[in-house]
Amino acid sequence: MIHNKETIPEQPAPKGTIGPIAWLRSNLFNGPINSLFTLLGLYVLYLLVVPTVQWAFIDADWVGSSREDCSRVGACWVFINARFSQFIYGLYPSEEYWRANIVFAMFFTLIAWMAIPRLPFKRWVAIFALIAFPVVAFVLLYGGYFDLPRVSTNRWGGLMLTLLLASVGMIGALPIGIVLALGRRSSMPIVKSFCIIFIEFWRGVPLITILFMASVMLPLFLPSGMGVDRLVRALIGLTLFQSAYMAEVIRGGLQAIPKGQEEAAAALGMTYWKRMGLIIMPQALKMMIPGIVNTFISLFKDTTLVMIIGLFDLLGIVQAALSDSRWLGFSLEGYVFAAFMFWIFCFSMSRYSQYLERKLNTGHKQ
Amino acid sequence: MTQAATNASDLMVEMHNVNKWFGDFHVLRDIYLEVKRGERIVVCGPSGSGKSTLIRCINHLEEHQKGDITVGGVALTQDVKRIEQIRRSVGMVFQHFNLFPHLSVLENCCIAPMWVQKKPRKEAEALAMEYLERVRIAEQATKYPGQLSGGQQQRVAIARSLCMHPDVMLFDEPTSALDPEMIKEVLDVMVELIHSLGNKAAVDKFVIMGLA
Ligand SMILES: Nc1ncnc2c1ncn2[C@@H]1O[C@H](COP(=O)(O)OP(=O)(O)O)[C@@H](O)[C@H]1O
Ligand SMILES: [Mg+2]
Repeated sequence: MIHNKETIPEQPAPKGTIGPIAWLRSNLFNGPINSLFTLLGLYVLYLLVVPTVQWAFIDADWVGSSREDCSRVGACWVFINARFSQFIYGLYPSEEYWRANIVFAMFFTLIAWMAIPRLPFKRWVAIFALIAFPVVAFVLLYGGYFDLPRVSTNRWGGLMLTLLLASVGMIGALPIGIVLALGRRSSMPIVKSFCIIFIEFWRGVPLITILFMASVMLPLFLPSGMGVDRLVRALIGLTLFQSAYMAEVIRGGLQAIPKGQEEAAAALGMTYWKRMGLIIMPQALKMMIPGIVNTFISLFKDTTLVMIIGLFDLLGIVQAALSDSRWLGFSLEGYVFAAFMFWIFCFSMSRYSQYLERKLNTGHKQ
Repeated sequence: MTQAATNASDLMVEMHNVNKWFGDFHVLRDIYLEVKRGERIVVCGPSGSGKSTLIRCINHLEEHQKGDITVGGVALTQDVKRIEQIRRSVGMVFQHFNLFPHLSVLENCCIAPMWVQKKPRKEAEALAMEYLERVRIAEQATKYPGQLSGGQQQRVAIARSLCMHPDVMLFDEPTSALDPEMIKEVLDVMVELIHSLGNKAAVDKFVIMGLA
């Protein structure tokens, strides 16, 4: 044993264990088989990426106003450019675009405000977003008040409609899902069976059937003259369908909370709703962020199904534009654009959920 | 009548002919127990003999099927309001602590005084700090339960119960999930608390402990 009273001075790491070359060697080229796979992977990547970049950027046409401007072999983004405002606003009258723009601006500002941690007054912004904003948005988009000309909902479309369907669906499905999940665990037999039947009914039927029934069959049951707006029917169908899925996701989260949590809360004299609201739900929702966001993402993509009842969401309006005789033959560009738009929103949701998970992690695993 | 009333205020917990079954399994058979204010009781018995079940019947975490339970003069019935009233005056410390992992130590202690007793946050926090001081863990107030050792967590759990100023404290094997070194720190805190609280007439308690 050597007793060394001095602190051993810091020394640089041995050569070849840090830096990019070392990283390559230990991750991509450690052994002949891994090296082979790395090279193979790079080759496949090369085969895919080069023609894509060539088509989408290098050989593409960007400016112009008609199909004659698309002379080159690559993508014709002129088509997207020419139809861009329709893809965003649907058939909304162009002299009223400013109304939709205000709603868009408020929508994204509110989301950013809630998402950026440093900004203050989160509670008031949330209350505004959930109560005042929907009213303001409706008045602005639909009109009929304050000399704003009325724009009927069958002219709403494009990205605007997709975002409307998705956000109403999400904001509606979460609370209904929570109530259904709690009801399904209730000890009251009537509440419990109602929730089970409700959940299993909506989960067992394809969304496309629900939307179709909502648009074709609902009017048969309603007294004549009492027409419910097609968009409202789609919103109700979509929300109820998603809340059944949400309920099952949340029930899974509730089941993962140890029984001792509710017992400890009960032993402190908390009522049922306080036990749920203060102790059980915050933990369950936190645990369920990936599942909830997953449901939100699938809801976002499911909104495209409203096409079958004659509403033109982002994908629907792109498809409609494809059949325009002046622009025949650009379906690839149209679908790539639609896919890209959907991807941006879904990917942002996914990233935000990962961020939330990290932020809310209080280092517990009981 | 007067006689009965004074008696009732003296008796904190009464169990008369209490019977409980889990399905067909008869766990508690004709339990008779009376505990006066200030009295400390330890329930002993082999594992599985029903100590936890007995304790949990007192604040209705388990439901008994026959017999009468009265806590602080209030008869325990099916009525939810009554159950909650009794639970507010009965503190309980669990074998596995059951701290709320999404709340900090301070919030764990404040949440019931604030939401059940409707105390303002300032007052609840001052009270919580006082009890955290007593269980010698005040310096960890901003940490989360997941960052504490078992013994520290159990001390927080004791403080959390005491913040509700209960008339009755129930301890269900408070040290059996702990390592030997930690048992001592928790028992020391308990003994100290029982003495300090027991000496003040106004906050006399009785304590039931289940020890394996
Ligand atoms: N929820 C339950 N369902 C069925 N049996 C139970 C339940 N809880 C406890 N028991 C049974 O009741 C008996 C007493 O349990 P318990 O009160 O936990 O014992 P102790 O705390 O003395 O070890 C045990 O035999 C146990 O198996
Ligand atoms: Mg036990």
